[in-house]
Amino acid sequence: MNPKKLGLAAALAITVSTTALAEEQVVNFYNWSDYISPEVLENFTKETGIKVNYDVYDSNEALEAKLMSGGAGYDVVVPTGSFLERQVQAGIYAEIDHSKLTNYGNLDTVMIEKIARHDPDNKHNVPYAWGTIGLGYNIDMIKARLGDMPVDSLDLIFKPELAAKLQDCGITVLDSPAEVVSIALNYLGLDPNSESKADLAKAKTLLSSVRDNYRKFSSSAYISDLANGDTCIALGYNGDVLQAQGRAEEAGQGIKVDYAIPKEGTVVWFDLLAIPADAPHKEAAYQLIDYILRGENAASISNYAYYAVANKAAEPMVLEEVLNNPGIYPSDEVKANLFTQNAHAAKFDRLLTRAWTGIKTGR
Amino acid sequence: MSIQTGSAWVDGSGSRLAKYNFFKRVNWGRVSVFSVPTLWLAIFFFIPFLVVFKISLSETAIAVPPYTALLDWNAEDAYLSLKLNLGNYLFLFEDSFYIDAYLSSIKIAAVSTFFTLLIAFPIAYLMARSKPSTRALLLSLVILPFWTSFLLRVYAWMGFLKKNGLVNEFLMSTGIIDQPLIMLQTDFAVYIGIVYTYLPFMVLPLYSALEKMDMTLLEAAEDLGARPATSFFLITVPLAVPGIIAGCVLVFIPAVGEFVIPSLLGGSDTLMIGRVLWDEFFLNRDWPMASAVAIVMLIVLVLPIMLIRNSQGKEETV
Amino acid sequence: MIETPSDSALEASPQITELPLWKQEGATPFLRIENVTKKFGDFTAVDNISLDIYKNELFCLLGGSGSGKSTLLRMLAGFESPTSGRIIIDGVDMSGIQPWKRPINMMFQSYALFPHLSVEDNVAFGLKREGLGRTEVKQRVAKMLDMVQLDHLGKRKPHQLSGGQRQRVALARSLVKRPKLLLLDEPLGALDKKLREETQFELINIQEELGVTFVVVTHDQEEAMTLATRIGVMNHGVIVQTAEPHDVYEYPNSRFVAQFVGSVNLFEGRVIEDQPDSVRINSQEAGAVLYVSHGISCAPNQKVHVAVRPEKMRISRQQPDQQENCVCGVVEEYAYMGGLTVYRVRLASGKEVRVTQPNISRASSERLTWNEQVYLFWDLDSSVVLTA
Repeated sequence: MNPKKLGLAAALAITVSTTALAEEQVVNFYNWSDYISPEVLENFTKETGIKVNYDVYDSNEALEAKLMSGGAGYDVVVPTGSFLERQVQAGIYAEIDHSKLTNYGNLDTVMIEKIARHDPDNKHNVPYAWGTIGLGYNIDMIKARLGDMPVDSLDLIFKPELAAKLQDCGITVLDSPAEVVSIALNYLGLDPNSESKADLAKAKTLLSSVRDNYRKFSSSAYISDLANGDTCIALGYNGDVLQAQGRAEEAGQGIKVDYAIPKEGTVVWFDLLAIPADAPHKEAAYQLIDYILRGENAASISNYAYYAVANKAAEPMVLEEVLNNPGIYPSDEVKANLFTQNAHAAKFDRLLTRAWTGIKTGR
Repeated sequence: MSIQTGSAWVDGSGSRLAKYNFFKRVNWGRVSVFSVPTLWLAIFFFIPFLVVFKISLSETAIAVPPYTALLDWNAEDAYLSLKLNLGNYLFLFEDSFYIDAYLSSIKIAAVSTFFTLLIAFPIAYLMARSKPSTRALLLSLVILPFWTSFLLRVYAWMGFLKKNGLVNEFLMSTGIIDQPLIMLQTDFAVYIGIVYTYLPFMVLPLYSALEKMDMTLLEAAEDLGARPATSFFLITVPLAVPGIIAGCVLVFIPAVGEFVIPSLLGGSDTLMIGRVLWDEFFLNRDWPMASAVAIVMLIVLVLPIMLIRNSQGKEETV
Repeated sequence: MIETPSDSALEASPQITELPLWKQEGATPFLRIENVTKKFGDFTAVDNISLDIYKNELFCLLGGSGSGKSTLLRMLAGFESPTSGRIIIDGVDMSGIQPWKRPINMMFQSYALFPHLSVEDNVAFGLKREGLGRTEVKQRVAKMLDMVQLDHLGKRKPHQLSGGQRQRVALARSLVKRPKLLLLDEPLGALDKKLREETQFELINIQEELGVTFVVVTHDQEEAMTLATRIGVMNHGVIVQTAEPHDVYEYPNSRFVAQFVGSVNLFEGRVIEDQPDSVRINSQEAGAVLYVSHGISCAPNQKVHVAVRPEKMRISRQQPDQQENCVCGVVEEYAYMGGLTVYRVRLASGKEVRVTQPNISRASSERLTWNEQVYLFWDLDSSVVLTA
């Protein structure tokens, strides 16, 4: 993410809102921040005459709270798979009529199958981007403490003796109980989506054993911490780590950040385009989604946001530095080890949260 | 009164008179003065409170909104049923975790309030004792932080307190310490954040109490043999009590429910009820439970404070 | 009401036959103010004052606002320290001694009662600072409240008391520590007229009963007259005259004192005859030669003022027999005030003279009225020559 892009995004936001003509043709798009290249929206409006009201959020929780209250008025939203899964159960989303999407065939069928674990037959979603949860690390700091040991294993943060070595330079773990517990379960050789109390207890024991070596649980602060050298290893989202990498490079302080997908396997997450059941402009929503599915547009998004898109047609147009970055587009071998983290039953969510608070607060 | 209205029925002019009297008797100015704040309280406090209370008695459901209705109308049998779920409240006491969170929040808020008072008192005292021109300047300095975003100010503290932040760099360069202190992500940082953020809320009521104080009272105390320290504790402090109470309430209540400061400055083990509420709402998606937590917090906090204020008010009117 | 307590006060004082201390040669003063000056920046509030006050005196510092009387009082209490000079109380130099260590108590103009404490606790405040036992504190507070007749109001808070009651609490609080010296700042200022008169005599009673030395600051000359054993009249940071009330009134030493204490008619004139026991003054303002039956020290032909109090003058339609101290004028205004009538008479020189006459007769026919030509005359020993 470079500042120029951000500046452009801001400029676009202004033009989008001011140059729009007094047409009733609009689409309300609620997306993650910094998650679409501005020219995609600009060109969409030019081509279709549909004004895009673009609004951003920075957590699934924020999106969910708005959708659950009802009447938010959004036409296209971008929930993450496990969230969509539960939200579908609450009847929040309209079913997608795939026949209205001429570019649906561009999508990567392997990925679509994985996504179907969240949403059977993908009735309510169209894939937008995907990524992994892995280890972001400070190359030099890790080397200084662990030598030439490869940084592609969860042992670094889950084995007390290794974690203790990294305690002084800072270990950060996502403050996201479902995902972290899922990764821990998988690490222990258990079903990552298990809802068994015994399994949860095992995951808790594992995490509690290393808890004292962790500096913090955070879902966003690790970006700047990695970039500033305040933390040397973080379990986080690949896009965030790459963002930290970019920032560290720009700062020119000699801090080098890299990302590794753990060999034990990890969570793959999908951000999915969905249309709320009460969307006021469903037709425009279809047009927007179809536009995004076009190869060149999907590529543009991938190049901008440094996230992988599950779009075969886009691949030839994705920049080499993005396409060849194993942190963004991992090899098929690595892909095979990825698993989805599915939505839990409400009861298990409560147990999970309770266990998580127990881990964090040492109770 | 009833006789009057009776006659008014018979005599048309009488009814007009009665009406006139009624409007004369009711002091509309007074009514409006009282009705505006009452209306405000009703709309922005009481009704939301009832809504939250209602949610706390329902059950979670996978629906929009994600909880069940209390009233159920079965049109076929013409059967209206009311379902109240007290389970959320019972659960609060089943798991010691919630009580721990309340206690920990109260502890953090109490400690912060104490230190806020400790720091605010000299500031307010100095302001109240300074020349009117200086006073205006000091007053604006106290309010000045409000001109920048609260978040920005908390972030600034992160810059001060972090491992290679200003405080550590200063202490290291002066040789006081040779290892950086871990201050950020600790309860200490939370205290600093709360004290810093809420300081003006303590200073202002204290200042207004101290400013009203007659300075000759201190001279009188000295004249009667009290050293300055003694007169401070026997005269100044008791006279500042209304300000102290107002300031402590203004700091303590929001500090108990504080969410932003502990999440930014506190460690992961900083357990506060605001965080629990967040988890209930967003992680468990259990709106009824979250509501129950909020209602209990309100009762635990607001009731004793209202009682204190009430008894204080009574004492003053005697 | 006015007469009885003062009579009893006089009877109660046993040393009335003795010469007062300040008239005794070589008596040691209880309070000695030595060349005390207080400056606030460029402003001199108290200018080189020296003053001796004796045991059991009730000394009044009388002056207008800004005369420096309050500053002097505050220096005695220790709230201000003199820029130069010394204050000695009972032989002890007070410089550097903090207010809370001085054997002095003060009654404040605003009373300065502690609003959060009950009457009892206000009075007990000073005793508790001395570290006295609880029973002793209780006894002394009760005794003191009894003396100021507030024993039934001990549990009340100051805001539940009337002005007079508060004044008495303040007095009790300042007296309960049995100070050697009690300072009173405008003690009666906040009371209404009737209450003030009552309280004046109460103050005198208490002062004589307890044998405490009082220094009272007031701007009210009547108050000073009634209370004081001696009065120090202050102006611009200086004590202009120190004398017993009677002398301050009858023998003012300057125009300022004459005018500040009571009202006075001043006639400007020049000395034409200077005898050891009398002076003759030609006053164009009066339009007459004025004779004063006391000697003064002055240069021949010096410009002086002759002061005559309004009540010392007599007014008549007929020309009196006496040649001297008789002036002629026209009644310009008069005011009937019950006990007496105040006349404003304009002399030929244009000078306005104020005369008060007791209304001895009830008949209205004798009363003078507007534009009547009248003669004003006074006894030879009724006037004072003022050179300052």
